[in-house]
Amino acid sequence: MEALGLRDDIGDKTLAAHNSLQLIAFSIGEQTYGVEITTVREIRAWNGATPLPNTREFVRGVINLRGTIVPIFDLRARFGDGQTSPTKNHVVVVMSVGDKWVGILVDAVSDILTVSRDDIHNVPEGNSIDTELLNGIVTHDSRMVGLIDLHAVVSGAKMDA
Amino acid sequence: MSDLDDFKATYFDECSELLTELEEQFAAIEAGERDADRLNAVFRAIHSIKGGAGAFGFSALVGFAHAYETLLDYVRDGRIEMSDDVVTLCIRANDIVADHVKAVQTGDALPADYGMDEKVRFDTLARGDAAEDDEGGEPLDEFDIEFVPVMVNFDAVADVDEDPANDAFDAPPMTAEPGHWEINFRPHQALYARANDPLLLFRELAALGEMSVRAIVGDIPPLSDFEPFAVYCSWEITLIAPALTEAMIREVFEFVDGDCDISVLQLGADLAFDIPEAAPAAAPVAEPGLSDLLALADDEVEALLDFALEAPAAAPPVAAEDPAGEAPALSFAALAETIKPSAPAVARRAPEVLKPVAPAADPDDTGARSVGVQSIRVDLDKVDRVVNMVGELVITQSMLTQQMDETLRARYTELVRGLEVLAQTTRGLQDSVMAIRAQPVKSVFSRMPRLVRELAQKTGKKIKLETIGENTEIDKTVIEQLSDPLTHMVRNSADHGIETPDKRAARGKGEIGTIRLSAEQAGGNILIIVEDDGGGINRERVLAVARDKGIVAPDVNPSDEQIDQLIFAPGFSTASEVSDISGRGVGMDVVLSNIKKIGGSVHVRSWTGKGTRMTLRLPLTLAVLDVMLVKVGDSPYVVPLSSIVETIQCSRAAFERVPSGGKVLQVRGEYVQVIDLAERFALNTETEAENRFVVLCEAEGSHKVALIVDDIIGQQQVVIKSLEENFERVDGIAGGTILGDGNVALIVDVQGLKTTLMHKTAA
Repeated sequence: MEALGLRDDIGDKTLAAHNSLQLIAFSIGEQTYGVEITTVREIRAWNGATPLPNTREFVRGVINLRGTIVPIFDLRARFGDGQTSPTKNHVVVVMSVGDKWVGILVDAVSDILTVSRDDIHNVPEGNSIDTELLNGIVTHDSRMVGLIDLHAVVSGAKMDA
Repeated sequence: MSDLDDFKATYFDECSELLTELEEQFAAIEAGERDADRLNAVFRAIHSIKGGAGAFGFSALVGFAHAYETLLDYVRDGRIEMSDDVVTLCIRANDIVADHVKAVQTGDALPADYGMDEKVRFDTLARGDAAEDDEGGEPLDEFDIEFVPVMVNFDAVADVDEDPANDAFDAPPMTAEPGHWEINFRPHQALYARANDPLLLFRELAALGEMSVRAIVGDIPPLSDFEPFAVYCSWEITLIAPALTEAMIREVFEFVDGDCDISVLQLGADLAFDIPEAAPAAAPVAEPGLSDLLALADDEVEALLDFALEAPAAAPPVAAEDPAGEAPALSFAALAETIKPSAPAVARRAPEVLKPVAPAADPDDTGARSVGVQSIRVDLDKVDRVVNMVGELVITQSMLTQQMDETLRARYTELVRGLEVLAQTTRGLQDSVMAIRAQPVKSVFSRMPRLVRELAQKTGKKIKLETIGENTEIDKTVIEQLSDPLTHMVRNSADHGIETPDKRAARGKGEIGTIRLSAEQAGGNILIIVEDDGGGINRERVLAVARDKGIVAPDVNPSDEQIDQLIFAPGFSTASEVSDISGRGVGMDVVLSNIKKIGGSVHVRSWTGKGTRMTLRLPLTLAVLDVMLVKVGDSPYVVPLSSIVETIQCSRAAFERVPSGGKVLQVRGEYVQVIDLAERFALNTETEAENRFVVLCEAEGSHKVALIVDDIIGQQQVVIKSLEENFERVDGIAGGTILGDGNVALIVDVQGLKTTLMHKTAA
């Protein structure tokens, strides 16, 4: 966990009231995104994946997670910025979406954030990719953090979908 | 009420087992083995079904099973002869019981008078017997299980005598504190044997004061179990009279002393209204005697209560035998609440809890159960988890073994020996685990006799069903998938194969046609064969129909064997009339697709005028797949070994071009479609064309397809993993598997590849 630069202050109960939300924040290039911490199952280093034929470019393939086959989605590619060229330093965040487990390939996991639900802003109308893939936007330490809509990210994986 | 649902699920499981047993027993009985053991087994099965049904309030089922049981009991006693007619009626009754069980399980309502004819016949048989017997004089069918206590006027005598105590109560004395007494009276058999009548005792009691009597009739068993001389009734008497002493009450029972259980308790006046309502429902619980309980300390009472609360959970069908035990768990809970607060209250209510063992537990039942406990019920999920883990273990083990090269072997002999033992043990473990999932095909075969019976009845044919090898074991998943195809096949044999008795006679065969159902293991496969000695496939008609429906082009002349296989073509049916048995044109193609789905194959052979044989070849298990590991681009793929015909080096393969630009492969005079997996899966390959390999596969309907891969790595066993579990279906991929190095390999869906190809060419 230390290697991933995680802060060990999750126990900070003062902010963790009913109205607050804990996020795992990760980065893709310069941009920071977050998902609710309760959905995250595991964080692991990139170790390759078996490519799946006939799927869109953001489906990087499948990995073996202790005997279960889990698909890996390339978040950069999902945002339309081309496929990530992953190294050992890239990270897969495994999370549960509904009753399925999926992995998301990101550049790095940066932080655990506690934000207030009141501080979540709507995604400005405009680019359809933004509104489709983000649930909202929060500000943390004057950084913008996009809240990922996991259901939207993993949908439409098939070629002609 | 999830507990209740659990009980129900268990009950339905049991029912299906019991019904299977019924089929078996009657198969033997029908064959002439009419010994008492078989009859007892049948009786027990019906009794158990009825018992459970009573617990859940399935009244239609209880009613029918009860009538059936009564008949069986008479047969068992030898009062009714086990004639062929009775056997036929019983077999029909089994079917009706099965239908009732199914109806309550699925929630579908049956017609109200379903099975009424049979029920009437039971009653007629039973009544006919009763008339012969001329003993009870009571018409049995009127004596229903619902026991209704008859009101008795206890004052019949007292009224005449103008009892002074009654008068005294009419004008209650304000000074004297009225005495409230609660009496529990349970006569022994001896009491009746000495010609004592409880009614007389009650009349005497009534003379002492204001009395209310409640009969505890919950122990009365169904009529079939009713022992004329046994005692099933007990009474609770509340007696209110001033200046009444225990001695006065005891005096009434003086003459029956020792022939009954009696408890006399004085209650405070304020408690008189506190007569428990919940308690009688708790009657059928085995507990120590009354005197024991009164001496119990508080904690002991609690322990007892715990036991009492568990009792209905442990044996719901038994508790349910009793009409009063409708919701045992509920009433026990109520009871527990009332009892826990104070020990005196326990003492007061205890007698009711402490009824002697309910006679509902049939001695036959207990005997059968102690013998029958040879299996445990395990959730299939748990087994599957073990199967999966063992699969992983086998793969890891083979990976370890592969890592051993010659240098290591020479250096670490101990390690090598250990690995060898590990290999053996894991194989053994795998076989054992697979054996857990394996089930005898009997569970499917046992459904067929009924089907054949019904078909024979509907078609007016005479059909005998023979089953062979019903103890052959197959994976449970395969068994589940087998039921529908097998039903269709047997139906087809009975409907189209076997001829009518006239026709058979004209052909010089016996009137009775035979359908033989057999199962055997052949290597890694199970063969299920459905044979009939009917007319065989009418090839001329099959071909004519196939041509008519456009299944076969007019200029093609298929061989006899090819014509036989046509019956599996979708939408094909030769029955000139569409009956409700078969002939809707679905059926045999369903057989084929279902069997294909579980990795099996179907083959049909027919001899004109002599019969037809259909052979199902099924894999032993679905959990482990024998595959060939190949490489396409940088990715590992596996192709199921069962579908591979042969592999050819590309440099030796004879490819030809077709106008569409695609390639075909010529193999022994046959032209086969070529699918380049690298191209199809959009993978980059750097392998030179002549160094690649052709994997010739057989897809559905013995059509072949040639897959081109970069390299062939070898054969191995893999555990199939679902892609859909966390993702979705991917075209051309049947699933995934995990290789020894931990990487995921994808399983090529040969059939799927071919289908998408066909769609593409069609578009």
